[in-house]
Amino acid sequence: MKFYKPKSLLELFETSEKIEGKKYFLAGGTDINVQIKNGIIKDESIIFLNHLTELKGVLQSDNHIIIGALASFRGIIESKLLKNKLPFFQNSLQEFASPLIQTTATIGGNIANGSPTADVVPLLLVLNAKLKLFSKSKLREVPISEFYLGYKKFILKRNEIIGAVLIPENAETGYETFYKKIGSRKALTIAKLAIAGLKRISNNKIEDIKLAVGSLNEYPRRLYKVEEYLKNKTVDEIDFFELESQLKKEITPITDLRSDKEYRYQVCVNLIRTFLNH
Amino acid sequence: MIIKFILNKKEVSIDVDPMKRLLDILREDFGLTGTKESCGEGECGACTVLLDGKSVTSCLVNAVHIDGKEVMTSEGIAKEPIGKLLIDCFDEPNAVQCGFCFPGFLVTSYHYVKTDGEKNLDKIKKSLSGNICRCTGYQKIFESVMLACERKPLMNANERE
Amino acid sequence: MKSIRKIDAIPKLNGSWKFLDDYSYKGMIHGQLLYSTCHHGIIKQIHFPDGYDLSEFTMVSAADIPGENIVPEPVCDQPYMADKEVFHFGQVIMGIAHPNRKLLREFISNTSIEYEELPAITDIKECLDNEKNAFGRELTIDHRTGKKPDPNWVHHHKIYYTPHQEQAYLEPQGMIAVWQPKDKIMFVRATCQCPFFVKEGVEAIMGDTIKEAVIETSEGIGGAFGGKEDFPNLLAGITSLLSYKSGKPVKIVLDRSDDIQITTKRHPARIEIETWTDPKTKKIMKIDIDYRLDAGAYQTLSPVVLARGVLHAISGYSIPDAFIRGRLFHSNTPSNGAFRGFGAPQAFAAMEAHIDNIASDLKMNPYKFRKINLFKIGDEFPTTQPILEDHLSNCLERVIDKSNYSKKLKEFKEWNKTHKDKKGIGISIGYHGGGYTGNGEKVLNSEVKVVIEKDAIVKIYVSNTDMGQGAHTTLAQMFFEAIDHPREKCRIQLPNTSKTPNSGPTVASRTIYIIGNLLRKFAFKIKDELGFENLEGYVASNQNEFPREFRMNFVQDPSVVFDDENYVGVAYKDYSWAACVTEIYYHADTYQIELTKSWSVMDIGKVVNQKIATGQAEGGVLQGLAYGLCEFFYKPGYGRMHGFTDYALPTTMDLPEIDVEFIHNDSPIAKGLGEIPMDFPAPSVRNAFHNATGIFINEYPLVPERIYSYMQRATDRHRQTQTV
Repeated sequence: MKFYKPKSLLELFETSEKIEGKKYFLAGGTDINVQIKNGIIKDESIIFLNHLTELKGVLQSDNHIIIGALASFRGIIESKLLKNKLPFFQNSLQEFASPLIQTTATIGGNIANGSPTADVVPLLLVLNAKLKLFSKSKLREVPISEFYLGYKKFILKRNEIIGAVLIPENAETGYETFYKKIGSRKALTIAKLAIAGLKRISNNKIEDIKLAVGSLNEYPRRLYKVEEYLKNKTVDEIDFFELESQLKKEITPITDLRSDKEYRYQVCVNLIRTFLNH
Repeated sequence: MIIKFILNKKEVSIDVDPMKRLLDILREDFGLTGTKESCGEGECGACTVLLDGKSVTSCLVNAVHIDGKEVMTSEGIAKEPIGKLLIDCFDEPNAVQCGFCFPGFLVTSYHYVKTDGEKNLDKIKKSLSGNICRCTGYQKIFESVMLACERKPLMNANERE
Repeated sequence: MKSIRKIDAIPKLNGSWKFLDDYSYKGMIHGQLLYSTCHHGIIKQIHFPDGYDLSEFTMVSAADIPGENIVPEPVCDQPYMADKEVFHFGQVIMGIAHPNRKLLREFISNTSIEYEELPAITDIKECLDNEKNAFGRELTIDHRTGKKPDPNWVHHHKIYYTPHQEQAYLEPQGMIAVWQPKDKIMFVRATCQCPFFVKEGVEAIMGDTIKEAVIETSEGIGGAFGGKEDFPNLLAGITSLLSYKSGKPVKIVLDRSDDIQITTKRHPARIEIETWTDPKTKKIMKIDIDYRLDAGAYQTLSPVVLARGVLHAISGYSIPDAFIRGRLFHSNTPSNGAFRGFGAPQAFAAMEAHIDNIASDLKMNPYKFRKINLFKIGDEFPTTQPILEDHLSNCLERVIDKSNYSKKLKEFKEWNKTHKDKKGIGISIGYHGGGYTGNGEKVLNSEVKVVIEKDAIVKIYVSNTDMGQGAHTTLAQMFFEAIDHPREKCRIQLPNTSKTPNSGPTVASRTIYIIGNLLRKFAFKIKDELGFENLEGYVASNQNEFPREFRMNFVQDPSVVFDDENYVGVAYKDYSWAACVTEIYYHADTYQIELTKSWSVMDIGKVVNQKIATGQAEGGVLQGLAYGLCEFFYKPGYGRMHGFTDYALPTTMDLPEIDVEFIHNDSPIAKGLGEIPMDFPAPSVRNAFHNATGIFINEYPLVPERIYSYMQRATDRHRQTQTV
């Protein structure tokens, strides 16, 4: 194993460019250390990030809340700014892992780890968050919904990292919110499925709705087809048979040691129904 | 690499593999065996320590992450006024059973009592939810931390900090 | 009743109390086990990775064993290390040691073993459903009348399954062996329940190469729950062999993932019950129980678990015509072993569910149905042991009363009519025979030793370990309270086989019940013998008599006569009794059961230390509830769990409020406490779920995926009836 501890962002990119072969960016280390212990990561190079304070913190800029990729979950949960602006987002993350893991785990790590169960991603999806990607010569923004390409596959280019998460400051305003994480227990749990939702009702009609799920696909996804189907309907107009047929096009639950595909599917349906007050 | 940090209020420095787990540094390099390894993957909290005043599982923290920081273990906390208070509050209802998880519980509850300290069962449960105990069924642990919250205001002001 | 504080709490909290991995010896190297990843097969070849200097490693395999390659157990059939053929995943093939723990770990994880695979049984149902897999001695309790059931009696026939359960002691298994060639002594530091078992284990593998094995426990034993009853014997054997071969102290501490995958678990069970109930009197008139345990690849101590299982199989009911058959079944999984309850939790899982099943069919209140069928004074167990007390009934009455069961039953029924989510309340009962089964305590012949020093310090020597249950505090308390000696003048020796006499293993809820009561008697005996009122005063004025050593053996009550061949007679002199009520909230959207409150009432006789006893009982109740609710180790098609990430132990957020009460604590003797809290709570969860939803699930745990599949089946059946 080779290690690099760049002194600055610039040095980070210079170092990264020089490394051939597979490499890992180590942020909080809550997942990579487990992978090392289990022999999944063996000889690959490791670049330490966590000391780069420029990627930490939560701040307001124009009409966005910017969360540094290296912001810890504890930092997010305790942030006064988020308490004011994005309380739903903040509250939902209380269920992330455990208070001990929250101290070290980072939001960037949760996203870049690429797990289908990543807790923060369904929330970011419904909040229309964007990721700010940094590379040596370029900064670019991509919607989180376009970040994942497949299981542990990202839009990230070689030597590009997630620098920050941008959430519109009024992303929650005017919406009814919904978040459920279903695990084998109430803390220290990996989601069997998770669902986040925002909806706005006007004149009994669903004027706007945003739904996103985790652990039901190769990566967390928005349910655009279901949303499309639901928009501009009153609750009574919803044909749940049709809703399910749209949902089936968008989720691909599996059976594993943790749960069963039939269960995951049905609970997803039930939770959507409950969110729609049906 | 050489790292410097403050361990139980003393400055220390060692030459160490940057990926070495804080847990192993404490146990092997400093002989502080109060910090225990049980699961080795952040799922039990037996290895909890304070890193810059916040509770973490030391099995998932690497040497590189403690450079320039402050680490407190159960041994250090046991000498602090709130640590002493907590030890007495765990001892009084005979809350401790096998004890393997308790240094971890001491650290996490120290953090709670020191930084929050509200005698609120739901908050206490939540704050301790990263620490697993297989012996006690947790009830006496809750009772002990509640007791410490109740007694904290009776301490001298300078001891509460 | 005095809740004196524990002797070890403060050092445990500040981290100074030493657990196994906290010990170090000069020149010590580290060991690790290389085990089979094949369920059944012939070992063709072992490939070590390149790039290591093999001369730095010490390796032992079956061929290096100077003594016998069979671990001493009730049935001696398990080798320390596989020779050519492996019979289960996790079977040890080699012990390997190296000075560098990390390097050793890498070396072993890169070592591969080639097998010729053979057929294997790894699925619980595949094992237990097929009678061809039965092995070992079959046990029967025959209390049949020979009469045919009355045709009017209502017949119920059901099969119940229970899964593995992992002890999940927080301190993993560990062992240090220090070979002392000069004296030919193998010194072993162990985290274990039974130092004298470990001694046998080391002496068996080492044979004549050593004069004696001396076992001393670590100060702290970080939980055991039965898991450190027999596995340490095997581990100590291999660690000793490594120390002998390397000439150095060797420490093996199992990584959690190894520990969870290769050590013993609670036996999965299949229990088939047939009953015939008189619909007029609501009395169960006849019962047939077929009790099967998945023993794993070897029998080891499973016959003893089976014995306790069949002896508790009928639960607390008096049934005139009873037949119980118990068998062990073979599978290619690690041998299952001791876990708090030892066969009894499986028995209650089945019978306490069956009782609710019958009650439901007869449209009866489960409490009233139990009351009619409960043991009464003058009744007998199927072994003909007479029932001498009605404390079980007292426990049930008390718990029904304090939980407001009858009122809630009605309230919930109403509430459920108008809600998608459901509330439910369930009952269960249980009991646990204290000490070794049958004639076991006679055979053990436990001995305790006390030394009184010149300064009136009393030193107590027993081989029973304190693994968290507070035994050393409570044992000392039982001695010094008897003669009113100051607490601080009473010490307890850390178990060491060359210093402490053999007072038997720390198992079977026997420590306080057998050894504690013995120490109390012993204290009175010494007092009578010396004729003092105050020990300190006596020692002060008779200095020349001290230090003085006293020894005493346990003598079994003559009423305990048990026929081991036919399973007739008194199996246990004293039983602890219990009853439980649990309330649940069922979330219809997610098929999850949330426990809201659980009440347990137990009779454990005299409660020596109220706070210690309450804490131990609360912990046991949570283990018991989790057994029914969420813990499982194996999923068909997806294999076994690898660590604490997969195996979901309850966290601080998952438990209900647990209320524990002890009744009849004015009794003169302290009965068993260790196991009973684990025996009885789980069925109350299932019965509460049945009460909430009307759906009956015949297997544990009640995880939402299982509930969902039962719900689906119920809906499908409903649809079918509608179409017909």
